[in-house]
Amino acid sequence: MKKHQRSFVSLLTALSFVVLAVTGILAFARPFSIEVVGLHALMGFVFVGLIALHVANNLNHLSQYMRTKVLWLTLTIIAGLTGFFLWQPGPIRSILALSQNLGPAIDQFEMKDDGLVYHYSPGPHYKMALTIRAGKAFDATKPPHVAIWLENASFYHIKTLHEPDDLAVGRAALPYWDFKIRGWEEAKRKAQESGKVLSEQLEVDGVSGATQNSSFDPADYILPADPDNPMPYRLVIEIDQPGDDQPSLVYSVEIDNAAPYAFQLLDLVGYPKREEDGKNRKELWTLYFVDEQFDSALTLIDSALLTIDRN
Amino acid sequence: MNKNENGTDRRDFLQSGLLGTAAAGLAITSTSHVTAQTVPDAAEPEVTNEVDVLVVGGGSAGHVAAIQAGRAGAKTLIVERNSQLGGTTTTGGVAFPGLFDAWGKQVIAGIGWELVKESVELDGGQLPNFARVPQRHWENQVHVNQFLYAILAEEKCAQAGVEIAYYEFPQAVTKTDDGWQVDCVGFGTKRRVRCKQIIDCTGGAEVVGMLGFPRLREEERQPGSYLFMLGGERAIGRKQLHRLYVHGADSTNSRTATEANMTGRKSVLARVRKEKKRLMHLQPETGFRESYRIQGETLISVNDYTSGRVFDDAISYAFYPVDLHTKTGVRPKPLKPGKVPTIPLSALIPKGSRNIIVAGRCVSSDRLANSGLRVQASCMGMGQAAGVAATLAAKSGTTPLEVPLTEIHALLREHGQIVPGKA
Repeated sequence: MKKHQRSFVSLLTALSFVVLAVTGILAFARPFSIEVVGLHALMGFVFVGLIALHVANNLNHLSQYMRTKVLWLTLTIIAGLTGFFLWQPGPIRSILALSQNLGPAIDQFEMKDDGLVYHYSPGPHYKMALTIRAGKAFDATKPPHVAIWLENASFYHIKTLHEPDDLAVGRAALPYWDFKIRGWEEAKRKAQESGKVLSEQLEVDGVSGATQNSSFDPADYILPADPDNPMPYRLVIEIDQPGDDQPSLVYSVEIDNAAPYAFQLLDLVGYPKREEDGKNRKELWTLYFVDEQFDSALTLIDSALLTIDRN
Repeated sequence: MNKNENGTDRRDFLQSGLLGTAAAGLAITSTSHVTAQTVPDAAEPEVTNEVDVLVVGGGSAGHVAAIQAGRAGAKTLIVERNSQLGGTTTTGGVAFPGLFDAWGKQVIAGIGWELVKESVELDGGQLPNFARVPQRHWENQVHVNQFLYAILAEEKCAQAGVEIAYYEFPQAVTKTDDGWQVDCVGFGTKRRVRCKQIIDCTGGAEVVGMLGFPRLREEERQPGSYLFMLGGERAIGRKQLHRLYVHGADSTNSRTATEANMTGRKSVLARVRKEKKRLMHLQPETGFRESYRIQGETLISVNDYTSGRVFDDAISYAFYPVDLHTKTGVRPKPLKPGKVPTIPLSALIPKGSRNIIVAGRCVSSDRLANSGLRVQASCMGMGQAAGVAATLAAKSGTTPLEVPLTEIHALLREHGQIVPGKA
């Protein structure tokens, strides 16, 4: 009976560990999801209970381990790794920068008759709300494709906050965001292949001098480790009304935590147009100033207001 | 076979002679010949000029001001302490003037743009597409061939009837009944200029300073940029040069400028020795960012600048981020969409003065506004406006500030400039 009980607890412990491991990887690699993080946390509590039973079942073996010299070696290794990960030197930060999860972010997108609302809270003291008021051309029955992303000061994509529900259609309707995403993914791939960090892979703006833009870790901009030395970044949206025969439009605003504003309106930047990079003949999407081809697209949104609560 | 005393025979002689002639021919083909015009009374050190408009300084604002004054019918003389026109664009090597556009349309045109466009076209270069949204402000700076630009500026001066006096600088300025007497000195030349109007385009408002009008100066100057090229190809009119920040670079006077230039060159030499690369290009002097600014009838504040205030007496546009360079570099603050700053005529007039107007980076402005106003395209716009105002004032026997604004605007438009306000 005792043998069965021990097997039962050991298997439960091992299987709960598998769930913990998988949800841990998902929590690291995917944008924040309360389902994944909730499962990870709750299964963690179950795991702790099972470990207690597992320890009780194997107390004799464990006490023998505790008397060996290996104990001190394992304690040293774990203490060393804990300290190293907490200290977060460059290589560790580079690994963490690959995460799509900024932490306990709360991410909510809502399409309504009078516009769109997007909430994003990467931390308890940093709450963003983007309120897009519908304009005359806004048609809630055929909701517009919308992408919301963050860029660093060198105009490189660093994080997509919201992507269209239908990704294939959305990518075609929002070519500028799609281009930025592809560039970022390619740079990440090349960086991995060459063993470089992303900031070395992408060309940064060196012409203007000390532009602080070399990081591609969104946390460095939104929740900087050194609050006294924040780096500006941009929130960008691309929006397109299906069936209006006009290109998508891009709006953006610069966010500078060194000069914080509670409210900022996004400005219309332009519309994307496909070009070819002269040297490499690579596909290139560039923004152009809005011209006479636009009519209803200009009234798709009335205003886009970004609110940041930093308390 | 007959050998001569040197041991060479006739055939050797003919061969070496032919080769020598061919070599000499090659050398001759690489040298072309022109003859400079004879300067009347060249041996006489003292010369006198009677002109309507004297432009002091042939930099970004000065050469445009002179061409404009000449084209508008004023007898014009330009004195320049260096050996060519163009200033920062040519002597400084910042051969990428900007910005002529804002938010998808051109806002500065006229003579400055004419020169830029012509030098790019002659050089087979490419003009930026102003319909594109530049991600970074400098993307719409126009790469020009600095050498062509300087020559074209001279050509346009000549076509406009402007007399150029290089290597000269004013030593004394005296008020007269109908204007000014300005004594300039160059090597072997003492020039006395009697003029109705002075356009001070010296960058640091040197003539204004000589006249004792108040000027503004910061405790510390922004660093200058010394431009050079180490190693790779020097793609003239295509690529920017390497730049070296010369901290403390100060063009206040010849001594401070000398120090800045020598510091820059010494540093470049150290890099050549360290990096063991060939020095492919070196500008003759530092590009200076600030020295003195005038205290004008109006002072452009950074709020005026960033809000795109349209002054009642606006005579040209300006467009550039607030761009204050410091010891740690620069973080340009772009202007908000749709905002295009303007420059009022009264910011070009030293407070309480008559018959003198400035153009260029010495425009009356606070330091942050000046960090955006000081760039070449804006200076060219100011230069053209100053050329018009000075010419009209000289013709009507008044001072630039009293010339009706409608007349200034009309003449500017006639000469291709874009004027703020209604067309």
